[in-house]
Amino acid sequence: MPLLGDFCLLFALALAAYSFVVGILAFIRKDEVGYRLGETARRAGIASFFAVTGAAIILVWAALTNDFSIAYIQEHSNRALPTPYKIAVLWSGQEGSLLFWSWLLATYAFVLRVRHKVDMRLVATTSMVLAGIQVFFLLLTNFVANPFGMMSTVAADGNGLNPLLQYPEMVIHPPMLYLGYVGFSLPFAFALAALMMRYPGEKWIHITRRWTMVTWLFLTCGIALGAHWAYAVLGWGGYWGWDPVENASLLPWLSGTAFLHSVMMQEKRGMMKVWNVWLIFVTFMLSILGTLLTRSGLVQSVHAFAQSSIGAWFYAFLAVIALVCVAAFVKNRKHLQSENKLESLVSRESSFLFNNLVLLAACFAVLSGTLFPILSEWVRGYRITVGAPFFNKVMLPIGLFLIFLTAVGPLLAWRNTSLGSLKKNFAIPAILSVLVGIGLIPLGVKPWNDLAYFYAWLTFVLGALVITTIGSEFIRGGRVLKDKLNTNIVGGMYHLTRRNMRRYGGYIVHFGVILACIGIAGQAFNQSKEQEMAQGDKLQIGRYTLVGQEYTEDDNANYQSNAALLDVYKDGKYITRLSPEHRQFKASMQGTTIVADYSTLKEDLYVIYEGLNPDTGHPIIKAFINPLVNWLWIGVLTVLLGTGLALVPNAAQLKSPVTVKAAAGVVEATGGGASMRPAGARK
Amino acid sequence: MKAVARILLLFCLVGSLMAADNSGRYERLGGKIMCSCSCGQMLLQCNHVGCPNSATMIRQLHEQVAATSATNDDDAVLNFFRREWGVTSVVEPNRRGFELLAWILPFAGLGLGIFCLVLVVHKWHAAPAAARSPEKMDPRLEALRARARRETEL
Repeated sequence: MPLLGDFCLLFALALAAYSFVVGILAFIRKDEVGYRLGETARRAGIASFFAVTGAAIILVWAALTNDFSIAYIQEHSNRALPTPYKIAVLWSGQEGSLLFWSWLLATYAFVLRVRHKVDMRLVATTSMVLAGIQVFFLLLTNFVANPFGMMSTVAADGNGLNPLLQYPEMVIHPPMLYLGYVGFSLPFAFALAALMMRYPGEKWIHITRRWTMVTWLFLTCGIALGAHWAYAVLGWGGYWGWDPVENASLLPWLSGTAFLHSVMMQEKRGMMKVWNVWLIFVTFMLSILGTLLTRSGLVQSVHAFAQSSIGAWFYAFLAVIALVCVAAFVKNRKHLQSENKLESLVSRESSFLFNNLVLLAACFAVLSGTLFPILSEWVRGYRITVGAPFFNKVMLPIGLFLIFLTAVGPLLAWRNTSLGSLKKNFAIPAILSVLVGIGLIPLGVKPWNDLAYFYAWLTFVLGALVITTIGSEFIRGGRVLKDKLNTNIVGGMYHLTRRNMRRYGGYIVHFGVILACIGIAGQAFNQSKEQEMAQGDKLQIGRYTLVGQEYTEDDNANYQSNAALLDVYKDGKYITRLSPEHRQFKASMQGTTIVADYSTLKEDLYVIYEGLNPDTGHPIIKAFINPLVNWLWIGVLTVLLGTGLALVPNAAQLKSPVTVKAAAGVVEATGGGASMRPAGARK
Repeated sequence: MKAVARILLLFCLVGSLMAADNSGRYERLGGKIMCSCSCGQMLLQCNHVGCPNSATMIRQLHEQVAATSATNDDDAVLNFFRREWGVTSVVEPNRRGFELLAWILPFAGLGLGIFCLVLVVHKWHAAPAAARSPEKMDPRLEALRARARRETEL
């Protein structure tokens, strides 16, 4: 089997190389022969997908059948490992995850190559770029990090999967992140292809819009799952530690978010063409940088389970990509001239400009903070640590400014917005948000208590501003359609959304982001307490009392565990029983925490079993009260829902025969009940 | 609008001033120091049972906070830990010397971005206005176009 896997990988490389080289020839020739060559390159690309799929299936099969003759399986699996985690072995180590990268890329490219009729010329060049990326990853899996390396002697059992990865979300978190990282290859390849071909119009943007949104959706989902995993497994009471590898996933997310916004400028107004091309180039390069940071050990990280010395290959790849992008841009930059200019600073265009600026500033801040330890080592000879306090201080003001822009942007019209209309649209949301700010003070959110309280308070106020502006947009549009369609306001809002899924799905995404920000702001009010607890001992935190009832031990083939049974009372009333646990995995001799969480919309009571005090033999229990944290997860789900809605095509326009009498200034409609007349002419 | 802006500004100032309050100084400083036992956790979050360092570090943090309570000199406390446990024990860069660059870079990036944006906008405004087509000059069509824009935005 390992030999067959090796063969599949080698065959996939040969096919991808053919697809790449012949794709270049087809691109150069641009005649009938070139077209035929391009077609063979496309088919070779499709075949390479099947070859990589074969290799991936063989590796998973080896994990499922405990084939410890393969070094990778011996290193990352063991007999007692539950089946779902055996499948997860594919992406739990260096060699497997590079194979997984190659397979996802081949899958994306396969879908594109099968759907080539959408635009055969553009897809042919895009396919060539994708084949180039595929060649790089297949070179790595064949010659640098081969997952089918053999052991000289076959061990009876494997070392097992890292215990931190033995958690249900860990089975889907890495694939989601990879789908996000790899997915940016597609818009990148389209942008590069369109630039190289001097492709007229914005068709590449229309084609890639959905690809980019799907990719962004996966990346968002991957980041959120990672945060939730950290919260549920790492047992430090938080979900985001600004670890370099976490930051690496945030970088393409931020620049990808900027791209999703600025691309609308190009679609609607033919502006920011250079910016958009570079934004997607940079996003792809940041995806590769993310993989480099995860894999190379360039920065110290808790994600050390995947590190190696493969960094040099990624440096070289990044340099090649940068060179190709610069060369393509220099050669074809005249093709990217803007069709329109910014007419007013108070316009939708300028709000997109500022939004992009702030998102990229956030991206730069995260990048500079992440790489600063390396810079410090080069300049001063020692590596300093840049951690959460630094990022919180730098990113909070930037984030708050972004929330403010999220509130203002939808109120601005394209081209120009009069101050009068801005005041009219902004007055009610502004008043309501100020009222929210005042109303929060008696509830204990006193902004003068502490800077953290101030930031939390400001987040709630700006969040209220965004929610009211979004609400007013739905209500205003819903009212117009309510009259036109003879329905109620909810029906009006439904039809409004169905007519422009992208726009109103986007608003739901914004709403979700605000819910998530409210969840994050709750951190300002976190409480924690640690105590050694014998049977019958009590731990008081906030309004909760934890009473130690029983301490148990368990043993199975995979791990040994110690757990505490704690009765939880709130204001003296029994509410639940929690069982925090500590597991010691036998194969790897590593321990992990299983958090017990009593979760409500208001707060989480988060309890961990820290271990036994060696002197007294009593368990040490640590409890946290994490306010509002559930809103973070609800916010993420809302973001995913909004993105999903934005991907749905718009409903067909109303089927009412319309007679346009433009010269008379009257637009009449019959049958559908729609009637538009100039002001004053309405009956 | 001006009134709202003034209220927000006032809260900003009050918030910044109150941040200097000494309450929770131990918690705040503990959140800037990393446990040196290689567990990769912040000192006050270290849940490593039998940790060889965290008890000593926490005791030292208590002592340092007490010793500097008159001056509220957070830097003195952090520098003590840098000396005692190495520069990597403090996860926030210093605000002096080379490490100050870490604080400047993000905002310099934002400043540079704003500067470039202003330049681009200025260039757009300074460029001679494109000849307006006769179609654009027609106020009736312009009104219809504005209306279509408004209504198709729905």
